[in-house]
Amino acid sequence: MSITARRKTVQGIQLCADPAREACFHIAQHDSEMAVFEDNMSEAARRERLHRHMNNEMGALEIAAQCLADFPDAPWDLRMQLARQASDESRHVAALYRRLRQLGGRKGEFPIGNFEWAVTNMCDTLAARLAIQNRTFEAGQMDLLGALRKIWRSLGDETTAEVLEHILADEINHVRFANRWIRTMVQEDRRLLLKVASAIRFLAETNATLLAGAGATTTDAAKKHADLGINVEDRRHADFSDDEINEILKQAGMSAFVSAEGPA
Amino acid sequence: MGLILREKAEYLGTFRWLEVFLMETLAQWVPTTPEMEVKVLMGRHIWDAAQHADALGKRTFELRAPLHYTLPPLAPYLDLMKELAAVEDTPGRIQAIYDVLLPAFVARYQEYLNGSDSLLDEPSYRVIHEILNAYARMRQENEALREELKETLVFDAGRVDEWRRKEAAIGEIVPRGSGATLAVGAHA
Repeated sequence: MSITARRKTVQGIQLCADPAREACFHIAQHDSEMAVFEDNMSEAARRERLHRHMNNEMGALEIAAQCLADFPDAPWDLRMQLARQASDESRHVAALYRRLRQLGGRKGEFPIGNFEWAVTNMCDTLAARLAIQNRTFEAGQMDLLGALRKIWRSLGDETTAEVLEHILADEINHVRFANRWIRTMVQEDRRLLLKVASAIRFLAETNATLLAGAGATTTDAAKKHADLGINVEDRRHADFSDDEINEILKQAGMSAFVSAEGPA
Repeated sequence: MGLILREKAEYLGTFRWLEVFLMETLAQWVPTTPEMEVKVLMGRHIWDAAQHADALGKRTFELRAPLHYTLPPLAPYLDLMKELAAVEDTPGRIQAIYDVLLPAFVARYQEYLNGSDSLLDEPSYRVIHEILNAYARMRQENEALREELKETLVFDAGRVDEWRRKEAAIGEIVPRGSGATLAVGAHA
């Protein structure tokens, strides 16, 4: 049985079962199991950020690799992009692990979650997986990294900030190729639009249910995202149109930044 | 006499199949292999295999075959590839790729170079030399990983001997004369 055919149930929602992890890792199924810190940039909190990010990059590697395994008939140029992405994400894992160890951390020091893997691999088309993983999760990560690199710098940790700069540069490429290929695939087969829309709806509903279970709402999550800011410049590099960026700004409650001429 | 033009395209098309197989096998193994460092190694080598397949696929077009012409190997080799792709434990997977397949592919590429012509077929030589250089790096990276994980991974040398013996027992792997889409009667 393919790994993406295995299921787990979290708060009543059927999701793709977790990818393989070493025994040293505790896999959290709910946000409440993740480590929380009063000072979110204390030494332990910094290690937890790197540890969490390292696992997210491992998930991104696994998702890109699984796309190569599950869609052998995809256009060769797109498979090349996915293969490159797998390599990039591997380097990200290695770089974050190196930095984690430099700061005294270790593999399995904190709980991890595999939400992105669990949701993305529920999609049965490549266009939908690219829409969820690259165009949504990785694009969201661009916003996060845009803010985090400045935070690490403000703490005097230039080394970590530079790791994040390099990761951000790679992620822009992953989001861009996904945006371009989704457009191409949808132009060739309009039915894929329904698949993509249904995948986005599934993500939104899953997100809302899991947030509710943790006593939060999608509005809280959008506010958190807005507090970090939308990385407009890099979203442009990643081939988001002005209309799409305006929509993202509105969803994040940042309508003031939306102008007729395009996002500020 | 060395290989004729059509046969060269068939060899390169078969090599391309092997590289795509390598890419897909590594890709399939990344989510199902627990060790993080092993996932990282495999993830990086997915891209190597993809680049090899890409270069070979462009070269087949130059040899008057379709772009990215790909030929599955003959049945005995195909069966061996399927057997190796079904390995489930991490040490076995590492051995299958780095102790069995890469050295075997090196020998197959070398056999092609011996049967071709370094002047008339220089572009293929360049592609293959790049691949052989990459294989050497990939095997070095694998050795570094084994050193790093020597406390946790236990390797069974007997299994490698058995796989190598099976591989070496298979002579021809290229389905010659199968190129219905190739230019008929093209000779080097």
